[in-house]
Amino acid sequence: MEVNIQEYISSGIVESYVLGLASPEEEATFEKMCLMHPELIAARDEFERRLEEMALTSAVTPPREIRERIFSEIEIASGTSDIDTLGTQLFPNAREVEPELEVPVISIGWKYWAVASVILLIGSIGLTLFYFNKYREANNRYQTLVEQQSDLAKQNQQAKSILSEKENTIFMMKDTGMLVIRMPAVTGPATQDPIQPATIYWDKETKDVYLMVNKLPEPGLDKQYQLWAIVNGQPVDAGVFDLTDPYTRLKMKKINTAEAFAVTLERKGGSPKPSMQAIYAMGKVS
Amino acid sequence: MQTSNIYPESHLVALLKSRDNKAFSYLYDHYSPALLGIITQIVRDEQLSNDVLQEVFINIWKKIESYDASKGRLFTWMLNIARNASIDTVRSSGYRQMQKNQSLNDPEEPGIDGQDNVNVDLIGLRKFVEKLKKEHRVLLELAYFKGHTHEEIAKMEGIPLGTVKTRIRSALLQLRQEWK
Repeated sequence: MEVNIQEYISSGIVESYVLGLASPEEEATFEKMCLMHPELIAARDEFERRLEEMALTSAVTPPREIRERIFSEIEIASGTSDIDTLGTQLFPNAREVEPELEVPVISIGWKYWAVASVILLIGSIGLTLFYFNKYREANNRYQTLVEQQSDLAKQNQQAKSILSEKENTIFMMKDTGMLVIRMPAVTGPATQDPIQPATIYWDKETKDVYLMVNKLPEPGLDKQYQLWAIVNGQPVDAGVFDLTDPYTRLKMKKINTAEAFAVTLERKGGSPKPSMQAIYAMGKVS
Repeated sequence: MQTSNIYPESHLVALLKSRDNKAFSYLYDHYSPALLGIITQIVRDEQLSNDVLQEVFINIWKKIESYDASKGRLFTWMLNIARNASIDTVRSSGYRQMQKNQSLNDPEEPGIDGQDNVNVDLIGLRKFVEKLKKEHRVLLELAYFKGHTHEEIAKMEGIPLGTVKTRIRSALLQLRQEWK
């Protein structure tokens, strides 16, 4: 079978085979040659396509009723009898002949397609890994950014509330409706300190009492400072407080009337009655 | 008729083999005019051609299992079914009788002397065949449109079998050039 394939292709056998003009021997030879020469298949396919194009140029549109006739016949056929059996009855040889010729053809196609699909597979795995890594990297960066963003938002929120608190403090200090009561130290070396331990801002209308701590010694772990209002010579609890920075006001209990305010150091949680030995600051209402 | 792209051919064949009615509908709508064109070129009678087309499509439906894509395209396979059915019709006694009734002057083998085909639509393969030299035209006519074997043609024309083969191949090569 060492024929020059180009000569064979251009001998007219391709056209002869496709148009059904080849003898059975020529057909068998052609089909065997196709198994070995993909270029022969390509030439066959090209001529078949040309033939199809030419047939389309000479098309004759059939009348509508032909379509209906065909489809009603098909429906009857598929409804009443087994088409497959009918097919085999009509073409008993078809099934015997085909497998022999089919298998080698498939194997040729198989090689090409196998090589092509392996190349495609490797290519696509490579791309998948590449983009997966890219994706992971981007996703990590994105997660980091989300965390940073949420931290920043929290910080911003804190800053805003601190700022607003400070603003309120400033408004309070500027407010002429506020009674300002300075509370100097009562005993010890603190009396010499120019900075007084605390200041009271007392709203004349609402009777709200705010305390600003300027300078007080750290209380022990089990101790807390307590504010007292002196009403008719008797101490009235105005709430306990912890030390904060000196620019923050602490809202204490409302006090309607008082002659003076005093700060004492008590056990944690406060006492019902002040321990008068530990008065840290005291200011008279003028 | 550029719609054949809607179904890739392998997909269409798979659907047809699974007896998909929609696929068969598609097949009919897209290929029946081309097939009827070929049938008409061989049968040359409108009514009869329609009958052949019907028979051809029923056969395609029944035989689709035996279509083998490794041997060629679906259209080629259908075209050969159409051609064979047309030739069988032309050869049937009923057809010969009809031809005789239509015109007693019509020779049994129109086209051999090259004078009878002038009123045939000059389309497709026919158009090409009409352009060939007489010695080529006659043989291709007998082989393709009448479905005679090379041996039969050699006997009918009184020329050696080798010459029949050479001339038909030569005609086909001209076709190949024509369609390039």
